[in-house]
Amino acid sequence: MGMTDPLKGFGVTLSKMFKTVLTEEYPEVKKIPAPRFHGKHQLNRHPDGLEKCVGCELCAWACPADAIFVEGGTNTDDERYSPGERYGFDYQINYLRCIGCGLCIEACPTRALTMTNEYETADDNRQNLIYTKEDLLAPLLPGMEQPPHDMRLGDDEQDYYVNGPELARGQGVPAGATVETGDEEAVR
Amino acid sequence: MTEANAPDGTAREAAGSPLTPVLTRRWLSPESWSLRTYEQLEGYTALRTALSLHPDQLTELVKAAGLRGRGGAGFPSGVKWGFMPKDRSRPHYLVINADEGEPGTCKDVPLMMADPHSLLEGCVIAAYAMRANNCMIYVRGEALHCIRRLHHAVREAYEAGYLGENILDSGFDLDVVVHAGAGAYICGEETALLDSLEGKRGQPRLKPPFPAQAGLYSSPTTVNNVETIASVPHIVNGGSDWFRGMGREKSPGPKIFSLSGHVERPGQYEAPLGTTLRELLELAGGMKDGIPLKFWTPGGSSTPLFTADHLDVPLDFEGAAEAGSMLGTTALMIFNETVSVPWAVMKWTQFYEHESCGKCTPCREGCFWLAQVLERMVQGRGTEQDIDTLLDVCDNVLGRSFCALGDGAVSPITSGIKYFREEFLALCESNRGQDTTEEPALAGVAR
Amino acid sequence: MTVAPASGNDTAQSRPVPEGHVRLTIDGIEVDAPQGELVIRTAERLGIVIPRFCDHPLLDPAGACRQCLVEVEVNGKPMPKPAASCTTAVADGMVVRTQQTSQVADKAQQGVMELLLINHPLDCPICDKGGECPLQNQALKHGRGDSRFVDTKRTFPKPVSISSQILLDRERCVLCQRCTRFSKQIAGDPFIELLERGATQQIGTGEQQPFQSYFSGNTIQICPVGALTSAAYRFRSRPFDLVSTPGVCEHCSSGCSQRTDWRRGKVMRRLAGEDPEVNEEWNCDKGRFAFRYATASDRITRPMVRDADSGELRETSWTEALRKAADGLLNARDSRGVGVLPGGRLTREDAYAYGKFARVALGTNDIDHRARPHSNEELDFLGSSVVGTGPEDGVSYASLEAAPAVLCVAFEPEEESPIVFLRLRKAARDSGTRVFHLGQWDSPGVEKTTHIADSGSPIHSGGLLRCLPGGEAAALYELPSEVEQALGEPGSVLLLGERCSQVSGVYTAAMRLAERTGARIAWIPRRAGERGAVEAGTLPTLLPNGRPVSDSVVRSGIERAWGMSTGSLPSVPGRDIDGILAAAESGELSGLLVGGLDPADLPDPEQARRALRAAGFLVSLELRPTGVTEHADVVLPIAPTVEKSGTFLNWEGRPREFEITIEGTGAVPDCRVLDTLAVEMDVDLFTQTPQAVAAEIRRLGPNPGARPKPPDIPAEPVTEPSGDRALLASWRHLLDNGSMQHDEPNLAGTARPPVARVSHGTARRLGLEPHQPIRVSTERGTIALESEVVEIPDGVVWLPGNSGPAEVNEVLGVGHGAVVGIAAGTAPAPGTTPGQREPGGEELPAVAGNGHTSNGHGPPAHGSNGNGQAGIDGGGA
Repeated sequence: MGMTDPLKGFGVTLSKMFKTVLTEEYPEVKKIPAPRFHGKHQLNRHPDGLEKCVGCELCAWACPADAIFVEGGTNTDDERYSPGERYGFDYQINYLRCIGCGLCIEACPTRALTMTNEYETADDNRQNLIYTKEDLLAPLLPGMEQPPHDMRLGDDEQDYYVNGPELARGQGVPAGATVETGDEEAVR
Repeated sequence: MTEANAPDGTAREAAGSPLTPVLTRRWLSPESWSLRTYEQLEGYTALRTALSLHPDQLTELVKAAGLRGRGGAGFPSGVKWGFMPKDRSRPHYLVINADEGEPGTCKDVPLMMADPHSLLEGCVIAAYAMRANNCMIYVRGEALHCIRRLHHAVREAYEAGYLGENILDSGFDLDVVVHAGAGAYICGEETALLDSLEGKRGQPRLKPPFPAQAGLYSSPTTVNNVETIASVPHIVNGGSDWFRGMGREKSPGPKIFSLSGHVERPGQYEAPLGTTLRELLELAGGMKDGIPLKFWTPGGSSTPLFTADHLDVPLDFEGAAEAGSMLGTTALMIFNETVSVPWAVMKWTQFYEHESCGKCTPCREGCFWLAQVLERMVQGRGTEQDIDTLLDVCDNVLGRSFCALGDGAVSPITSGIKYFREEFLALCESNRGQDTTEEPALAGVAR
Repeated sequence: MTVAPASGNDTAQSRPVPEGHVRLTIDGIEVDAPQGELVIRTAERLGIVIPRFCDHPLLDPAGACRQCLVEVEVNGKPMPKPAASCTTAVADGMVVRTQQTSQVADKAQQGVMELLLINHPLDCPICDKGGECPLQNQALKHGRGDSRFVDTKRTFPKPVSISSQILLDRERCVLCQRCTRFSKQIAGDPFIELLERGATQQIGTGEQQPFQSYFSGNTIQICPVGALTSAAYRFRSRPFDLVSTPGVCEHCSSGCSQRTDWRRGKVMRRLAGEDPEVNEEWNCDKGRFAFRYATASDRITRPMVRDADSGELRETSWTEALRKAADGLLNARDSRGVGVLPGGRLTREDAYAYGKFARVALGTNDIDHRARPHSNEELDFLGSSVVGTGPEDGVSYASLEAAPAVLCVAFEPEEESPIVFLRLRKAARDSGTRVFHLGQWDSPGVEKTTHIADSGSPIHSGGLLRCLPGGEAAALYELPSEVEQALGEPGSVLLLGERCSQVSGVYTAAMRLAERTGARIAWIPRRAGERGAVEAGTLPTLLPNGRPVSDSVVRSGIERAWGMSTGSLPSVPGRDIDGILAAAESGELSGLLVGGLDPADLPDPEQARRALRAAGFLVSLELRPTGVTEHADVVLPIAPTVEKSGTFLNWEGRPREFEITIEGTGAVPDCRVLDTLAVEMDVDLFTQTPQAVAAEIRRLGPNPGARPKPPDIPAEPVTEPSGDRALLASWRHLLDNGSMQHDEPNLAGTARPPVARVSHGTARRLGLEPHQPIRVSTERGTIALESEVVEIPDGVVWLPGNSGPAEVNEVLGVGHGAVVGIAAGTAPAPGTTPGQREPGGEELPAVAGNGHTSNGHGPPAHGSNGNGQAGIDGGGA
């Protein structure tokens, strides 16, 4: 060890002061990931707040990690969660297993399941990392109503699937405003 | 149509017709439907002759006469009778198909209205030949007046001993039941008719077994058309050579041609098979108001269309087939230049959509689809692509359906497009160039 | 079948066509097929799968869907149109070209597929059939990528419930008619029919038809689309997330093979398995839908002992429970002895363990599994004629089908063994078997095996031989000569039901009849475990495999096999179930070991409860609490069928082995519990696993000694009571209050409404208005039930055994053949007719009555039908 060695250390420090800082100031400053980052999942809603998920389990089928569990349920006239006959009664994603591949959202026939840019899926206990339907459902936007409730936008599910946003505009939602969750900007 | 529309025999002879009327000759007599009139005009004379013969001699006679079924398919009647077993271990049935449902056809109802006893006499002879002791006449339910007249005739015949036990001391028994159908085109198909008679849903049965082995109540059964059976007494009286003297080699005998549509005098015209439309039009006084002929059906809507080019096609089973159509029930619907072919085809297709029994996929779904496409085209919302779709769907229905209903349903469409494609194209004119491949929000669910 | 490649023509030319076969060519492959075989099957045997929807090998061909079109050439002449291969029979020299080699066939099939899809909704993601749907599969395989159909689809309100169990989605229906053909041809319950026509043709329900069938679940399974779905399974899971395990139904003695679909440790649904020898491809709704009892919330999962201080049962460890049970049983054994009541629902292996436990650990023959009315005559009959027989040497399903005549004695096939009923119906329909029933009234099961009117000419054969309840034995001696003659034809069969044990002398009379006519006898118990238990030796007179207790040579053989000292096996026949209970009540026995048994099933439930209460020490092995649990000192939980392996013997004596479906639940079978309990009592049973037990049963082999003597009990005369007395006739409905149908409301909705049946004469005698309730009473209690007038002998009242309020054993304390009091009850409140269908879903257009009940339209020339209702009404005396 030579005499100048301690100074070399200061030299490194000094030189770094003039370079770009690599340190992330997380969690004080949250990093914004790329727009198509595969983050936490979201279960989207129709413009009136009904759920888009029909409990078809295709996401669970597509999942290579067997991270998703779904069980369907029957909508009744008294208790309706989605347009049509069937809704997702139980929906669980196990983030201990999820590999973020996104095959599930490609499998979804109603675009009920999408991925957000939310990446904070860490916890100190395994139980909390099994997200249930309550954790995954999209927040209610203005004009939306917490299910269960009747179909507000049409007589049957076809109305929702074929022209749900137009029907919502017909009910007073201004053009250009997001009327259903599922678009990333609705979440931001 | 009533007997008032029946042709005037003398008038026709004056016009140089080649034939003396056979089946229709009593139609204009006073109270022609009554037993009295019938007996005065040689009625039930053939029956006496027939009952003195052996049943098989009668079958041979009908075979020799070359009588072919008048219900549309033209199957040789004698051969059909010959299929019936000779033993009597099970009851035999004769069923008369009087469910005249083919659009444009109106020959059986007038015949039964004007001359019901000729049918009954034919029934007794045919039943005797086939060793059947039960005969059912399945009449179209809408023809109420006709049913009443048949009932009356049956009553008269029972009273006179032409029906019932030991007919004319021959030891032969026959019961005749007049059964009113409930109005379904499919019940004109012989096996559907049998199901309907049994009280079941009228849908065609699987063949084999053919009715001659297992028909009504799984017993040997022959189903014949009214006109076929009504021809039998004349054959018995006149002999096979006389019968063969009329018509053509392979399709002998007289035939009632039902002319309807744009002709001066629509009605029933009896002429030998092989007569052309040109000759028939002359009898009927030509086209109505002189407007030229555009298209016509040789045998109801289930037979491919003919045009003015086919005026000289001999109207018998072979002639019509050679010209690309079928003789069918000789229901000649004649349309003049004022009629749109796509519109007429649409109306017919709507009929088939309504009357398809629903048993098999091609006919049930095909007619449903074809009708919608045609309706759309007639409303001016069709595209050229639709014409190809129509033809391809027709191809998927033709020969693929369970019974002949599907085949009949597509023939006006295919023949209509064949001869009048430009009319279909003209309907699509307004949509030409439009992007027809635009995807609906969900394929196939646009509604 | 022989398959010869087309290139091997030289050898094929020389090879003769086997007798009864024809030689044809399919897609260039030459093949010999039995005459009359349908082209679609021949092709399938060659591995050429022709797509199809309406075709089903067990149903008559329909030719409705037209999906299986192929090109056919006969005698060198091509047929003008493509032919439906499901309706075309093979012919010599036929040349068939399927979609694989023929453009025409391929185009035709694609065309039909497109037509099928134009009106089919795009709801595969929410459809229960999605993932296992023939239409979906074939659309993906043969269909177009996109649709040319841009017009309006036909729509219907959906779904409609056509029964509490079955939901109908008419949009998805492809109208293949499998369901209607099944219900007409196989089940004989034409509760669904085609309505309307053309594109609006749809499946619907009949207006005047009883709206239920015991076999309705099969229509769901054979539906090639998701048009018929089950209310119980609706949206529960998807096929790709299910594990399918083959199994055997535990409900009745038919022995149906079944498929259990489960996920995450829970059974989601059950389907009929395929076994051509037994259930073909069908099962009954009870077997299909009743399985949630095993996951009921009150299921006992931990051992319980009765707390000495509080007197209540408390959960405890296996160690403590077994210790307590062993101590208690040892004490009781050494005091005055222990009786064993294993119940009739055990596997053969579990029953064997009970039998061995009784003999080895408890040193007694006081064991009887017959938790139902029973008799000593039955015991002798089982030992002499039933035990040791099997489908090879005894009566089997196949022999029912081949029989010229079958007589059901005190046996209601549709209610007691539904697959036997289906086979009898098939026999009557297809093979001309004449089915006679010795009973009281023309029940639906009788009607459907004697009058068959689905297609072609109606069949009327066999018939009901009416007799007074209790008069069955006497009636067997005085059968109409027509019946006696029919039974004399070789191959005829007598079927004896559970009810025979309630009529004195029936077994004897049946055996005499069999001797007279040469007919063979089969015994058809109601419960799945009874036949196996007879073989396993859980009867007071029988050791395993039919060895009589009283035979000392046989006993010493068993002693050697079980490693016991000579003479240690009890030599005196034990008490039967009544005797055991009476002894327990009077203190002659000081302990009871009770398996799956409910006191309410016993002939006298009150006496049974008194005995259970009086028993000094009571050990209960149970799945769920019953009337036994409340008196038990120790309760040991055991595994339900789905969580264990074993073997049921069905009524034929055919072993129906099954493996564990749901593993790792920790539940243990009875044989393991008894083995461990025995170890606690210092005895080794070696019955730790069902496999070990099965091996031991095999090692023992058949009975080397003589069979016990057959019963010889004379028939007792029965007289028709008068006044306000009547003879009670009673049997159980298939769907009733049984504990294994727990928590199945949809299934319960399809049960037959409980009604009391009396004759016109009896109704007049009582002054009964139509549907007015009738009160049936004994000293014990009264059952009031809506009445229905049927053709039944005067002075007889019929009650369902265990349906709704009619719990005959429980309330009346008597059974079939007993004298009861009858009186008119108060008129029912309007609108409370039992058995009315719950309103649910949309209203269906209904067919007007006569649309499909063609049985009244016989051909006039056929004259009167020749059914054998040669009355022996009022017979007996």
